[in-house]
Amino acid sequence: MASSYATPPAAQNDTVVRLSDVHLTLASTAGPVNILRGIDLDVQAGERIGIVGPSGSGKSTLLAVLAGLERVSKGNVHVAGADLNDLNEDRLALWRRSRVGIVFQSFHLIPTMTAVENVALPLELAGANDAMERARAALKQVGLSHRETHYPAQLSGGEQQRVALARAVAPRPALLLADEPTGNLDGSTGHAIIDLMFGEAARLNSTLILITHDEALAALCDRVVRIEDGRVKLIEQRSHTKAAV
Amino acid sequence: MLSLRFSLRELRGGLRGFRLFVACLSLGVAVIAGIGTLSASIVTGLERDGRSLLGGDLEFRLTHRPATPEERDFLQRQGQVSESAQMRAMAHALRSDERALIELKAADAAYPLYGAVTLEQPADLHALLSVKDGLPGAAVDPQALIRLDAQIGDKLAIGEQQFEIRAVIAREPDRATEGLTLGPRVMIGLAALDGTKLVQPGTLAYWHYSVKLPPERSAAQVQALAQSDYAHAGWRIRDWKEGSPGVRRFLDRASLFLVLVGLTALLIGGVGVANAVHAHLDGKTPTIATLKSLGATTGLIFRIYLWQTLLLAAFGIALGLIAGAAIPNLAAGALADILPLPLVPGLYWQPLALAAAYGLLVALAFTIWPLARAADIRPAALYRDLVAPAGRWPRPVYVVTTALLFVALAALAVLGTEERRFALSFVVSAMIAFVLFRLIARGVAAAAKRIRPPRAIRLKLALASLHRPGAATAALLLSLGVSLTLLVAIALVESNLHAQVEERLPDEAPAFFFVDIQPAQMTDFRATVAATPGARDLDAVPNLRGRITSVKGVPAEQVQVGPEQRWVLQGDRGLTYARELPAGSTLLQGQWWKPDYDGPPLISIEERAAQGLNVGIGDKLTVNVLGRDIDAEVASIRRLDWSSFGINFVLVFSPGLLERAPHTFLATVKAQPAAETALFKAVTQRFPNISVVRMKDVLTELNAIVQKLGSAVRGAAAVTLIAGLIVLAGALAAEHRRRLKEGAILKALGATRRDVILAHVIEYGSVGLIGALLAFGLGWLAAWAMVTLMMGATFVFAPGVAAATALGGVAATLLLGLAGAWQALAAKPAPLLRTA
Repeated sequence: MASSYATPPAAQNDTVVRLSDVHLTLASTAGPVNILRGIDLDVQAGERIGIVGPSGSGKSTLLAVLAGLERVSKGNVHVAGADLNDLNEDRLALWRRSRVGIVFQSFHLIPTMTAVENVALPLELAGANDAMERARAALKQVGLSHRETHYPAQLSGGEQQRVALARAVAPRPALLLADEPTGNLDGSTGHAIIDLMFGEAARLNSTLILITHDEALAALCDRVVRIEDGRVKLIEQRSHTKAAV
Repeated sequence: MLSLRFSLRELRGGLRGFRLFVACLSLGVAVIAGIGTLSASIVTGLERDGRSLLGGDLEFRLTHRPATPEERDFLQRQGQVSESAQMRAMAHALRSDERALIELKAADAAYPLYGAVTLEQPADLHALLSVKDGLPGAAVDPQALIRLDAQIGDKLAIGEQQFEIRAVIAREPDRATEGLTLGPRVMIGLAALDGTKLVQPGTLAYWHYSVKLPPERSAAQVQALAQSDYAHAGWRIRDWKEGSPGVRRFLDRASLFLVLVGLTALLIGGVGVANAVHAHLDGKTPTIATLKSLGATTGLIFRIYLWQTLLLAAFGIALGLIAGAAIPNLAAGALADILPLPLVPGLYWQPLALAAAYGLLVALAFTIWPLARAADIRPAALYRDLVAPAGRWPRPVYVVTTALLFVALAALAVLGTEERRFALSFVVSAMIAFVLFRLIARGVAAAAKRIRPPRAIRLKLALASLHRPGAATAALLLSLGVSLTLLVAIALVESNLHAQVEERLPDEAPAFFFVDIQPAQMTDFRATVAATPGARDLDAVPNLRGRITSVKGVPAEQVQVGPEQRWVLQGDRGLTYARELPAGSTLLQGQWWKPDYDGPPLISIEERAAQGLNVGIGDKLTVNVLGRDIDAEVASIRRLDWSSFGINFVLVFSPGLLERAPHTFLATVKAQPAAETALFKAVTQRFPNISVVRMKDVLTELNAIVQKLGSAVRGAAAVTLIAGLIVLAGALAAEHRRRLKEGAILKALGATRRDVILAHVIEYGSVGLIGALLAFGLGWLAAWAMVTLMMGATFVFAPGVAAATALGGVAATLLLGLAGAWQALAAKPAPLLRTA
């Protein structure tokens, strides 16, 4: 695994994410569940943020909020140049096409599409004429040129996650979100994926927000945000100076 | 087209879940396309053979009398003419001494002007019919040989003339359009008719004059000329294009009914289509959510899956069209033997287009809703199922589109036919049935949820299965309920028709109708009947035929009459005159004339005919009798008991004028079964000119028709049951995985096979029973409405028939349900639990 990645200096002073007093309550048959209880977070362009916390602390929900997949009950969500509360579902979809790339723990590849078709998906959605060429290039970048025409079921877990990564970075998103990207992979495969992901984020000047259980992985980031019970408990700098919240 | 490209990629995943989708659509489309193709090939046949079916370009028909020399002269000036006379008569085979009622046709040498009479042994028809060795010849239908126990070469007496049977008729070109016949055909030469002495004043005989026009003369011109110059001839004129309106009308009605049955199958299939799409999209939730997280809009998702639905619908519709177009053509040979109508096999685009339109509308109407709901899946579904979106309504635009599609379906069914009232009542009934079954399904699920969990685990399991999200209860009740309702209704209507013909035949129904009794024969005839032991209650009335030529001064052709009463003005009607109100009649309006009335002609008209013609007391009707127009004033309106099998006339004249016109008598006689043969022999031996119609023969003929129609209708309706079972199988298949897993868990927890089986029996048995009970009630209601409101008959309830049909449905549900349970029991629990 790579031990350090330089933060792209040019991108540093733009705020890519600004969350203020974000609450999220979901209705359930057993009554309302408060998942996020007042999150404040700013992320600068080019930063790499690791979000850690115990199961059920609200990490994945926070990522869903950042991706515009989940609407907050209260608070402001400003991500990659857009105020997400102002966008309806279709506007959010259009916004995601060009600004955000997501890597899921369970890959979420479309089983009926080949590797290259899966990677081309967001490009095609965005109407890119050269979607296939760019998808091939992205696959090459993750070392899967020889697997272009394979279907997800014909790929190993690590290969599937590399396809998912290629799909996330192919549109050159300003923000790359990853939800436990190595959670379903063995150790060495996981390391390879992390290397690739950090490398791609650096190459594209993308901001990277990573959710993980793995403290060592989180430590690779510029900052580590510790979440507990729907609140930001602690933000740790890479220099290991701790900032209490 | 991004959406098309994506949907094609998506289809690579296989069509496993869509086999039932395709089956549901193709079945209904095949029925509609098949009925349409068959009907179109008959219509084309009628058009192609129109001239030979009519016997000419134009046909003039006179009742009771041949054409006058002037009329004949007029016809001959128009083109080549063929003359024939047709009547019912008794034939007596001398060798076997058997007598039978026959349909006699006496044709001149020019007959037929178009087409040819096919004999079983090829020979020249007219040479065979001419006088040879002092005897004229006769060609007969094969049935005549059977009924008279005769063979070729035997002598046959008709009236006072003897004939030699010289040929058997295989096919008569103009026979198809003649409607119900009571006896087999016997054909003789026109010149030999006089010798029979059957044609007496007032005898019920028809003279047909077929005319072959030269190319430069149009049928319409000649028809107009005949109507203006010979307005009082009272002839019925038909041209070859509308040669067989009765057949056409029957064909239109029959095919409309069968198309509606096909539409029912398609609608039931629609439930299966919706279920299949729903199940397919349920499995696609992660894909849809992923696509959305990558930036796909709701509209794009909707279009992707709409494309898939359309592609699969096109495939299903194409299969249905191929089957629908092929089957009638492949079966044309067999059908030609059953249907006495010309069939022109071929590819008929119009019925296929109609079937395709129905298929497409049903596919869209039933899929927009689940598609719209799937398109609304939120990308957060990738994270959690905490907030179940089930039960949410789609966006208003999709709700409105679905409603419009159903309206378009109804409009296509109603506007595409002339029988709009019937089609509309079908559409409304179908709508009520669908909504009702849907509501009841909800009610059943809600009730199952409300019931406090009983201690009995089997009952608890069954109740839970009835109301759990995604339970098959609604699909099951709807598909089975609608098809069973239709089957129960059809079974009840058919048993009613049989009952009308057979069981309700009153004890006092006459055994015989005697036709064409000359007034001078009446005294002897009465004596003959009186002298036959067991024969009683002779009832004789004067009998003439006439046509209504104008109503309140408006020529009959221009009178607006609804389809139900059109028959009153078509062709000629039986007329009588009477001094007293006939038995079986009830006076509704006006007054009956005095028994000694001898003033200007008055008329009493039957209630429904009066409504149809829109005439009331004091209105004028003109009736042409024997070439003479008689103006009569409506003096009363009567209600008739048609089911009494007595002698009923729509029009009854006051005595006087008609009394003095040449006419014959029509008589009915009741007889004990043992006396029937004696009476038949006594009358036919003594009066060779009197035609004897045996009630039993008529009933046998009617029953055979009811049975044939019944089988055809039941066959078509069975298709709806097949559609229902496909939907049922689909709904159960969708639940299969869950049931396998549930069965495994139950077994792991210690449930016995018996527990699981009984829980299934309770679940499917209760749904099947509820469906059957509803079908029983609704089918009964529908049949009652059809029998009493549309046919105007008394409803006879046959609970056995309805119950058997409904219980058959319960059995089918149970069997299908238990087949699934059996698999669940047979599966080993361990592997299922490991993957759980």
